[in-house]
Amino acid sequence: MIRNSTWAPSRPERAFRIGVGEAGLLPIMVSLLIAVLVIFEPRFATVQNAINILRNASFLMIVAVGQMLVMIVGGLDMSIGATMALTSVASVLVMTAVAGALPDAPNLAILTGIAAGLGCGLAVGVINGLCVALMRVPPFMVTLGMASVVGGVALMLTSGVPVYGLPQPFIDEVGRALWLGLPTAFYVALAIVVGLALGLRFTRPGVRTLAVGGNRQAAAVSGVPTGVYLLGAYVACSLLAAVASLLLTAQIGSGQGAIGDQLTLESIAAAVIAGVSLRGGAGRPELVALGAIFLLVLTNAMDLMQVDSKIQSIWLGAFVVLAVVLEALGRGVSRRG
Amino acid sequence: MISTLLVPALIVVMLLGFSLYVPRILFPRNLMNLIVQTSYLAVFATAQTLVLVTRGFDLSLGASVSMVSVIAALVMVTVAGGVGEPVVYAVVLGVIAALAAGALVGLFNGAVSAGFAVNPFIITLGSLNICYGIASTISGGRPVFNVPTVFSSVFYDGRVLNIPAPILIAGGACLGAHLLLDRTVLGRSLYLIGGNPRAAAVAGIPVKRRLVFAYVLASTLSALGSLLLTARTGSGEPALGGNLLLQSIAAAVIGGVSLRGGVGTVRHAILGALFITILSNGMNLSRVGGYVQEIALGVCVVIAVFLDVLLSRQRRAG
Repeated sequence: MIRNSTWAPSRPERAFRIGVGEAGLLPIMVSLLIAVLVIFEPRFATVQNAINILRNASFLMIVAVGQMLVMIVGGLDMSIGATMALTSVASVLVMTAVAGALPDAPNLAILTGIAAGLGCGLAVGVINGLCVALMRVPPFMVTLGMASVVGGVALMLTSGVPVYGLPQPFIDEVGRALWLGLPTAFYVALAIVVGLALGLRFTRPGVRTLAVGGNRQAAAVSGVPTGVYLLGAYVACSLLAAVASLLLTAQIGSGQGAIGDQLTLESIAAAVIAGVSLRGGAGRPELVALGAIFLLVLTNAMDLMQVDSKIQSIWLGAFVVLAVVLEALGRGVSRRG
Repeated sequence: MISTLLVPALIVVMLLGFSLYVPRILFPRNLMNLIVQTSYLAVFATAQTLVLVTRGFDLSLGASVSMVSVIAALVMVTVAGGVGEPVVYAVVLGVIAALAAGALVGLFNGAVSAGFAVNPFIITLGSLNICYGIASTISGGRPVFNVPTVFSSVFYDGRVLNIPAPILIAGGACLGAHLLLDRTVLGRSLYLIGGNPRAAAVAGIPVKRRLVFAYVLASTLSALGSLLLTARTGSGEPALGGNLLLQSIAAAVIGGVSLRGGVGTVRHAILGALFITILSNGMNLSRVGGYVQEIALGVCVVIAVFLDVLLSRQRRAG
């Protein structure tokens, strides 16, 4: 950055830079939103409502940080929703089958079901990752195609009808249990977000992932096996989607062929709002989690105000556009510095 | 050479293959049906091509189709029911409203993405949600009925020289787009913008203005397609857009339009649309389940994208 010695940032620019700082506008937006809601909508500020928000946000958080990983390496994963559907369906089918064959070992059924679900995530992630890393296919198209394929398989397995027969302990322990008033999903999400935040910043694989996204050729020249990291990002993303799906399935109580339809786009929205660049190379899991919370608070607020869910779509779209435009403008400001 | 013949060859092979299983596919009535179906998808694929060529994306394609359908129907119903004027006015106003709405969406897409230098992916994603929300809201989630029947009789049942109106209108639109892309400086500049944006800027091309133009034209074209589809169902449908986004991109890419920008013609879009329509028609006639069809479409997309990458490398090497 070349600094002109006779130039100094104007008051507004300095204020913008100090206020926004490294974290971007998101924390400010979230705080403002929550403050406005607390003042104007009494039903918002209840403990029960907060728990609801956190519970719903947990699933989006997990999926969104997965999407963030893929975006960090310069890609996009459009198959998250479909992966979740397949995981949900496959895990329940396996659980019911094993439980039926060995009724005295419900835990075995649950474990094999979980393994099957995670296996689905792994398989989809590997296919996505190989296509992108080996064949250099545009991630958007490959994952879009995979979404169709995987989604179709999921629907085929269920003929479009929810799959029942989940072992009760799974639902009770994992899905609907409350620890300190908060659901299991929340703690899993918390662990994942914290783990990734520390991992990306302080571990070698983490730093290398950021490097691969920031400047792939430089990373390759420095000896980083870029292909492996690309593959890893997509595998991680799909695995995280599978984890979220297992938690969501446990909460719902049945395997759903259409689980996660909205979540693909919402995960992109949450990541983008959190300042993750589509060009790659940057991403803060804690901000993405905040972005997920922001979206859920927004949805919750609109629900409380009885805004129609169809109009909510309009607001969601508008906010995503606004967030991205603000980020672009912000880039312009900091570039002048 | 191979790439230009590949898709037409595949189409012929597919047709013959299906005919072995369901000979009905080659009957004149079905072939005419096929061509009419292809016309619709061809319009959307062409619209998407206009944007793909500039290295952009129009994710709002399906949702804007739904929104335009609802808007057109509502305008027609309101004007026809309100004043005692000839119903033709209602239809004309509806068509104008539809095209205007389409142009507005395109204006938003192009202006925001080009103006703020933001990836059009995110912007069109936002407008997808907005269009979907508008479509659902103003329609109340239900189809808009009582659209004047003259609309359908002209835009769907109408025939000139025994050629169905949809084919004529879609064909005309695609021809216009082709002439623009192929024969005008404006059109050729779009290829440069997509293929080498920096060169385009250096060459003095008003890149932002041209990008806005591309998006406006694309959305207006898809609004036209929406009108044709609305005429087919005879009502404004808030879910008309359905799978159109994936199909339009798939058609363009399968036909040979490159996702990297700078390559692709209307001919490619039409070929791709033909391919997908025949595949879908063949599967329908063979009683293949809906879910399997989705899988098939996805596989086609993946294969098409692979081929696109391979051909891109060939192009760059050759």
